[in-house]
Amino acid sequence: MEHEITEQDGALIVGFSGDVDLQSSPDARKILLECVARKMPVLVDLSKVNYIDSSGIASLVESLQTARKAGGSLLLVSVSEAALRVLELARLDKVFTICGTIDEGLASL
Amino acid sequence: MEKTTVQSSAIGTYEERISGHLELLSTMGQDFATSLDIDETLRQGLARITDYVGAEGGALFLLDEKGEKLTCTACVGETEITGLTLNSDEGIVGRCVQLDVGEIVRDVSTDPNFQNSVDAQTGYTTRSILCAPMSVKEERIGAIELVNKRTGDGLFDEHDLHLLRSLSSSAALATKNARMAEALVEQERVRRELELAAEIQRGLLPDAGDDSFPIHGVNCPARTVSGDFYDFFPLDDGRICFNLGDVSGKGMNAALLMAKTASLFRCLGKTIHQPGRLLSMINDEICETVTRGMFVTMAGGIYDPKTGIVRLANAGHEPPLFYAGDGSFKAIPAEAPPLGISPLLTGDDGIPEIEFNLDGGTLYIFTDGVTEGYLEDGSELESEGLMKILVDKAADPVMARLQTVIDCIHRKNVALRDDLTLLAIDDGLNKAERPEQTDDRETMATENIFHVNFPSQPDRLKLVRSAVFDTAKMCGCSETVARDIVIAVDEACQNVIRHAYKGSPDGKIILDISRDGDSIVLSLRDFADPVDVDRVKPRELDDIRPGGLGTHFIREIMDEVDFLTPPEDDGNILRMVKRIE
Repeated sequence: MEHEITEQDGALIVGFSGDVDLQSSPDARKILLECVARKMPVLVDLSKVNYIDSSGIASLVESLQTARKAGGSLLLVSVSEAALRVLELARLDKVFTICGTIDEGLASL
Repeated sequence: MEKTTVQSSAIGTYEERISGHLELLSTMGQDFATSLDIDETLRQGLARITDYVGAEGGALFLLDEKGEKLTCTACVGETEITGLTLNSDEGIVGRCVQLDVGEIVRDVSTDPNFQNSVDAQTGYTTRSILCAPMSVKEERIGAIELVNKRTGDGLFDEHDLHLLRSLSSSAALATKNARMAEALVEQERVRRELELAAEIQRGLLPDAGDDSFPIHGVNCPARTVSGDFYDFFPLDDGRICFNLGDVSGKGMNAALLMAKTASLFRCLGKTIHQPGRLLSMINDEICETVTRGMFVTMAGGIYDPKTGIVRLANAGHEPPLFYAGDGSFKAIPAEAPPLGISPLLTGDDGIPEIEFNLDGGTLYIFTDGVTEGYLEDGSELESEGLMKILVDKAADPVMARLQTVIDCIHRKNVALRDDLTLLAIDDGLNKAERPEQTDDRETMATENIFHVNFPSQPDRLKLVRSAVFDTAKMCGCSETVARDIVIAVDEACQNVIRHAYKGSPDGKIILDISRDGDSIVLSLRDFADPVDVDRVKPRELDDIRPGGLGTHFIREIMDEVDFLTPPEDDGNILRMVKRIE
């Protein structure tokens, strides 16, 4: 799993690529929670995620909860088909705000 | 009412007096026997005797229910004291009632028990009193008091007391009869209300299905209403939701809590299909409103006629018995306290669930009224007795089995000790309609496609995923289905690494993929300590802890998921089947 963090229009964009699985999800969790702690809106770009498992989903949920508790926001943008399937299986596709592109995500903030 | 013709007793010969007494008694006896208004009849009787004895006034006092106060309920003469209340040991009336002896007080001024406060209030001068107690056997009811004789020497005599006693005895009896009649009417009213309540309660129980329906229940209340209940209803997906509960106590309060709990289950059970979460929600609801000290034990679950699988949650209820058909029973003990005790006790996860396959067997849920019911010889049926009947009658239709149990305890003319309730989920007929999976497995040719042996290390999962994806496609799965299968296998491997091997990297995992007719079969073998299959359950979706969510994914994706016991009884085998469309 690789990741990249950029800042745009006062928001943090975290892009993951590759597989977010049992091996890499502890790193993904750490990265997400650090971004949330910066008190800026967080857009998680999942367009390059080939695979995400239940532990990766758990990291996303934990980050969303942490952000909401602090009054912040966390959205998912450009969710790949593989990631969307797992979100659907977990019935979380309605829990997260999911936007088609980064621009749509920024506009919705 | 006819005016009395009886004349004063002081006049006439002894014979005339006796005849006059008898006539008076007979008139009053008739009045008492025919009266519908006891107060009015007592007032008339008092007037007759006051007149007959020739007293200036008369008063009738009744003792209250607690025996603490005497109240004047009827009064004749110049002074009106109706409503006057005395302590039950106060005054001459009080003494008369306490000692249950009639008395003549010729001169009240020399009697320390005389209450002259009434005279002080009314300006009347009481000189002489005749008082007779009203009692039936040992039961004190009140007393009749006459004051100041108008005729003769102005003094009451033994004849007067004798006569008054006759009146007071019949007045006492009439009062007691009237009270009993009133109590009977009240009892009858309560009985009718209870029957109405029982009718509504019976309406809460589900209609019995025909013999082909897999779930049957029976409920016999020990009293008119019951604290027990059961219910079952089909869900949209063909599964059947069922429950059986027992409210502490047996009276109307238990019946009302039963109605509430049963309604909550039926209403919430239609949308919440996780029995543990459902029971936990009912617990919270009951805790908010229940009367202190009342609670409900409940076993509730969902049965799938297509697979025979039952998911069950047990909150403090008598362990249900699962009969596999081979003569042995398995008890399923409660994993949580009864509902209504504390919202904290059922935990965040809800009440733990147990999932198992009936596989043609029967699950029996029952209340302790059954196991603690008395048999003809006075002993209790107990679980052993219940199991014996169920084995002996195993060939009977399910309803007949339940009836046999009930008949043992609920015999003619024998009062039940407690409500009796039984529910049976019988998978026998549904199992007969399912294809014989076990035999298929053994007889049908299976084609081994892929076999891999790898260590319990997270970094190997990427390799496994890629192999599974390609193998699934090779078996004819679409890309979408192949991707789903990858998710299921990946999560299953994670569970082995994290839970079976507890993170140790030295564990050995074997994955076998084969094709079996139109299905792809994936077997995952580990060599860790056997897992308690009953405890592997999908967690709630809002509980995102790893492991639970993964198990949910596996069950969502796969058509069949079974834990098998390896041949050497070492480790675990998870067998997952996905039908290829």
